[in-house]
Amino acid sequence: MSGAVTPAVDAGGAREVQARLVAELDASWRDAPGLRGWLTTTDHKRIGRRYAATAFFFFLCGGVEAALMRLQLSRPENGFIGPDLYDRLFTTHGTTMMFLFAVPMMTAIGLYFVPLMVGARNVAYPRLNAFGYYTFLIGGLLLYVALFAGNGPADGWFSYVPLAGRDFSPDKGADVWSQTVTFTEIAGLIAAVEIIVTVFKCRAPGMSLARMPLFVWAMLVTSFMILFAMPWVATASMFLAMDRLINTHLFDPSGGGDALLWQHLFWFFGHPEVYIIFIPGLGMVSQIVGTFSRREVFGYPAIVLSMIATGILGFGLWVHHMFATGLPQMGASFFTAASAMITIPTGVQFFCWIATLWSGRPRLAVPLLFVLGFVATFLIGGLTGVMIASVPFDRQVHDTFFIVAHLHYVLIGGALFPLFGALHYWWPKLTGRLLDERLGRWQFWLFFIGVNVTFFPMHLLGLHGMPRRVYTYLAGTGWGGLNLLASIGAVTIAASVVVFLVAMWQSRRASAVAGSNPWDADSLEWATRSPPPYNFALVPVVTSRADSGPSPPANHPW
Amino acid sequence: MSAREPAWMDVSTLTTTTFGHRDLGWWGTLGFVVIEGMTLFICAMSYFYLRRNFALWPPGHTQLPGLTAPAIQCALMLLSWWPVRLADKAARQLDLAALRRWMIVMTLFGFAFCLLRWFEFQALHTRWDSDAYGSIVWLTLIFHTTLLVFEAGETATLTAMLHARPSERLFSDASDNALYWYFMTGVWIALAAMVYLVPLLRGVP
Ligand code: HEM
Repeated sequence: MSGAVTPAVDAGGAREVQARLVAELDASWRDAPGLRGWLTTTDHKRIGRRYAATAFFFFLCGGVEAALMRLQLSRPENGFIGPDLYDRLFTTHGTTMMFLFAVPMMTAIGLYFVPLMVGARNVAYPRLNAFGYYTFLIGGLLLYVALFAGNGPADGWFSYVPLAGRDFSPDKGADVWSQTVTFTEIAGLIAAVEIIVTVFKCRAPGMSLARMPLFVWAMLVTSFMILFAMPWVATASMFLAMDRLINTHLFDPSGGGDALLWQHLFWFFGHPEVYIIFIPGLGMVSQIVGTFSRREVFGYPAIVLSMIATGILGFGLWVHHMFATGLPQMGASFFTAASAMITIPTGVQFFCWIATLWSGRPRLAVPLLFVLGFVATFLIGGLTGVMIASVPFDRQVHDTFFIVAHLHYVLIGGALFPLFGALHYWWPKLTGRLLDERLGRWQFWLFFIGVNVTFFPMHLLGLHGMPRRVYTYLAGTGWGGLNLLASIGAVTIAASVVVFLVAMWQSRRASAVAGSNPWDADSLEWATRSPPPYNFALVPVVTSRADSGPSPPANHPW
Repeated sequence: MSAREPAWMDVSTLTTTTFGHRDLGWWGTLGFVVIEGMTLFICAMSYFYLRRNFALWPPGHTQLPGLTAPAIQCALMLLSWWPVRLADKAARQLDLAALRRWMIVMTLFGFAFCLLRWFEFQALHTRWDSDAYGSIVWLTLIFHTTLLVFEAGETATLTAMLHARPSERLFSDASDNALYWYFMTGVWIALAAMVYLVPLLRGVP
């Protein structure tokens, strides 16, 4: 790349030039005025924020569904919700959390921060980005419009055939599910291509791959996983729609089709999906640990290689969701071994973070608190994961509440704790204001206690034989006490989310103004104003891994 | 001034029209190629997975597929690589007259592919709803047809734009279009071998 490197601070004349540049940039990056500008914006920050707000809204919807289910299960033989509605609730909850909240939330944060962190002014394809957001929105709204019109899906979040076939699900629920999935996966693929090309082609001069912040690496690995995983479920859901609508026989044994084909296609996506949700979380954790330990993260290459290894191994595990389908012995053993192996790279990263904290001067601010919550919760989820990777054990607890406990520990531990930490961490960049520290601590403790009180008892319920996806249970089973406990935990989680909403609302005016770099962090997003205008007025030149330096120099025009 | 303070760079002298991996459009095209390639790969995997459920493939009394239309299609696709290569070359040399000429030829090829696709559907000799065999071959063809129609439309539009409002940007678009063309035709030749030749084996091992 040609061009002269000019230091930011030189003679006073530079200031004038910069001011003129800023005015020009302002003019060329500004959105059209009014509603039209709001709808047609291609600014990755506005789209990212909108994506995140929409995904968070869906999280609240999924939360309401969870609360209703917990209310129903809080005592035996409860008549609050009937079996049909319960089916629709757990399906909509699972579908919402996986397809409308977890993945889009992570890509939203990636779309907002990756360009900032690599020193670009926008993502590679700004218009495509806007298109992706609207595709996602349409997919999400479709699910909820159908739910309220009495046609919500009821076949579980993985929509197994033959249950989801025409014979057993004659209403429109499964069609809605397959359309929602197709739409959201297209949006996910778009976001993945955006992030990959932005990282490969739009980095600022000097920002070599080996200097990229770990969150950018995490999003890069995630995007590659999306690229190779999401076409499976998008294609499979189109196949399902065809079976239902034009009478093809792909999954229908009476025409030579195969129900297990669905399971393979789904889980070839479904297992990587779990890593797609939690690798961005690993990236967030690395950023937070580095900043709040006040030192560079220990073992940068080891962490990068571990994330890549996790991304690759994540594709070798899908069959462990199908241990109960009667696989050949040899195959099952292979997938057990692969499932156990994936713990290694995750372990490596745990040790790197511990080493960073150990050798740094940690400051226990709210984001770091959430990281510690992540370590504890995810560890439990990981350990039960090792348990169910063994076929004989899995056969026992398959389709019981043990699995519900495991999956929530992994997903909430691996995604929600880092996510809340990251929101506290990046909120000042997003809005220019800090979130209240005291409310943050309340939020954390309520969440941490709530999650464990809700989901820990579910392990025991599962071991006692309580199946998942049942709308009620008999009093004689003795499961009432633990279920009540779990429901109390769910109320605690809800309280924590309310505290978070209050903190966000309150930060609009009441809290402290953040400045450009409140945490004294060293990645590039902190080298511009909060919230950033068109990112960087001048193309930054990066000379080392920790390069945003202190806050912008005094004679910066912004 | 701290040693860690960022410096800034003047990049206003960099060129705006680039080709191949220097061009963002090329990467976007590659993204399409990967995603659509995956989709077609999944169709192929499903094809072989379903085939294991049958003793005879195509099953029962289903006629073997016809070979004339697919053979012509594949030959035409291979032939099209010649004008595509020339169009790509013209684009990279910013030679507008030659590019317009070869793009017209490509547009004609694109429409011919779509027309022949109709006969390829007929040559399947089965329906999508008769059995799993019929379903998977129809769906494979349908998925690929969406690429075909899209590419024919894009080539025609690009050609029209090259005549109406030529701009430098269109040269690299035309070059990216060529990349996609190679993918679309290449992948079809592989899929056609699966759809039209595998059934000739008849028995399933
Ligand atoms: C925030 C508090 C949450 C609560 C109280 C909660 C509660 C529940 C309950 C009661 C079920 C149904 C169990 C059954 O009868 O089978 C369930 C299922 C599920 N949840 Fe959650 N959940 C929460 C958060 C999440 C999150 C954050 C995710 C994902 C990121 C998630 C993903 C799922 C999935 C995938 C299922 C399975 C749905 C199915 O069986 O098809 N949940 N959850």
